[in-house]
Amino acid sequence: MKISKTENGSSLCLALEGRLDTNTAPELENTLKNSIDGITELTIDMQSLDYLSSAGLRVLLGAQKTMNKQGQMQVTHVNDTIMEIFEVTGFVDILTIK
Amino acid sequence: MKNQSIISIRHLRKEYPNVVPLEDVSAEIKRGEVISVIGPSGTGKSTLLRCINLLEAPTSGEIMVDGVCITDKKCKVNLVRRKMGMVFQSFYLFAHKTIIENIMMGQTDLLGRSRQEAYDRGMELLRTVGLSDKALAYPDELSGGQKQRAAIARTVAMEPEIILFDEPTSALDPTMVGEVLSVIRSLAGQGMTMLIVTHEMKFARDVSTRIFYMDQGELYEEGTPEQIFEHPQRERTRIFIRQLKVLHAERMSRDFDFPAFLTRLEEFGRKQQLSQRQIYAMQLVLEEVFLQKLLPAMEQAGKTDSGWDAALDVEYGEKEGYLQMRFSYGGPSYHPFLEEDDLSLRILTGITKGLEHRFLDGVNDLTVYI
Repeated sequence: MKISKTENGSSLCLALEGRLDTNTAPELENTLKNSIDGITELTIDMQSLDYLSSAGLRVLLGAQKTMNKQGQMQVTHVNDTIMEIFEVTGFVDILTIK
Repeated sequence: MKNQSIISIRHLRKEYPNVVPLEDVSAEIKRGEVISVIGPSGTGKSTLLRCINLLEAPTSGEIMVDGVCITDKKCKVNLVRRKMGMVFQSFYLFAHKTIIENIMMGQTDLLGRSRQEAYDRGMELLRTVGLSDKALAYPDELSGGQKQRAAIARTVAMEPEIILFDEPTSALDPTMVGEVLSVIRSLAGQGMTMLIVTHEMKFARDVSTRIFYMDQGELYEEGTPEQIFEHPQRERTRIFIRQLKVLHAERMSRDFDFPAFLTRLEEFGRKQQLSQRQIYAMQLVLEEVFLQKLLPAMEQAGKTDSGWDAALDVEYGEKEGYLQMRFSYGGPSYHPFLEEDDLSLRILTGITKGLEHRFLDGVNDLTVYI
C-alpha cells in the first residue's frame, strides 16, 4: 500500500493506494500516530484503494475515535466493493463517508 | 463437404534428441470444426500444431490436409501453408511496418492482390476486430490485446481454410484476454475450421465443437466439451479436470507465501470467470479466517508442529453454482467465530452465504460458502 500525505495547517489528507489489509494496516496506523497530533480535519482518500479488510477497519475506527476528541474525520471516494464492507459492518454509521 | 476430414493425422511422432513431445497421435478434423487442445504444460500441444503447419518436421507418421499428404517429401509446403493460418502467442507483427501494412503484405506478395484490394480487405477486417482507427499505428503503439487482434486480422486476410491458434492469449495481461477471445469466438461463429491450443477452459468449453485432451505426448481423450469437462472417462483427464475446479494449498503457516497465494486465487477466479466481487470475497475470506483467526490461534498455542497445519481447498462448481472455501486444521476443536461482536465475522456474514464448522477425528473443518 502507498500512503500519500498532504498537510495544510491543521488539516491532513491521507490518500491510500492498493490494499489495506492485515499486512499493511500497521503502516497506516503508524502514519496516523506520527501525524495526527494537532490535526482538526482528517481526510482519508480511498480513490485508489482496491481492497479493505477488518484489519484496516480497526485502524480507521481508532482514527475516528481520536478525531472525535480533537476535530472531524471524513472518508472520501469509496468504491462499491469497499462500500459494501462499510455497510455490512455498520461502519457507514460510524464514519463520515463522502 | 461438411463431413469430410480436412485434416487427417496418422501415427504422428515427433522426437528430439532428449525428449519425445509426440509419441503417437492420430486424429481426424472435419471442415467447420472448432477444436480446443487442452492439457498440462509440456504434453505436446504446441508441437502438434507446429507439425500440422510443418514448422516442425514430424519424425514419422502422416498428415493429410484437404486430401494432400503434406508429410510427403514431394509436397509443396508453401501451397499447403496457404490453406492454413497460424496465430502465435507472441503476435509476430513486423515492428517497422504499420498495422495495415502488416495485413497487406502477405496479400500482395503471396495472393497476388493489388495494393488497393489488399488495403480494402485489410480495412474491412480491422473493422471486424475493432481496430480500424489503428490502421496507421505501429505495433509498438498497441496494447498486447490489440496486437493479437491485428495478428488475427492478418491471418484471416490470407483467406485460410483452417486457422491454428497457439496459446493466443497466454502472453496477454489478464484484462486483455477477453477482447481476443471474443474475436476468436466470432470467427468460430462464421464456420471457420479452427484448432486452438489454450489454457482458457471456460472459453474452450463454450466455443468448441470438440476437445482434444493431450497428455504425455498422446491424444489421451477426446470428446464434446460436455463429455470432457463433465464426464471424463480416463484417469489423467479426470485428475486434470478436477484440478481446474479446485485450488489447493497446504502447510499454511506464518511463513506461507500469502501474496503469491492471493495471486493464485485471483487467477483461479479469473479462469472460472467469477465476478470481481466473488474474487474480492475469496480474498477476504482467506484473510479474515486464516490471517485474523487461525494463524494467531496457532501461534498462541505455541505450536507450528504438524498437528496445527492448516490446508485450504477452494472449489467452484459451475453447473451447481457453488463456490466454497474449506479450511482444514488440526489441534483441539476450535471454531474461530463464536464471539458475536466480531469484525471479521460481521464481514463474513455480510459477504458470504454462510459458514459451517465441524470437528471430526481430530480435524477441524471450516467451510465458508460464497
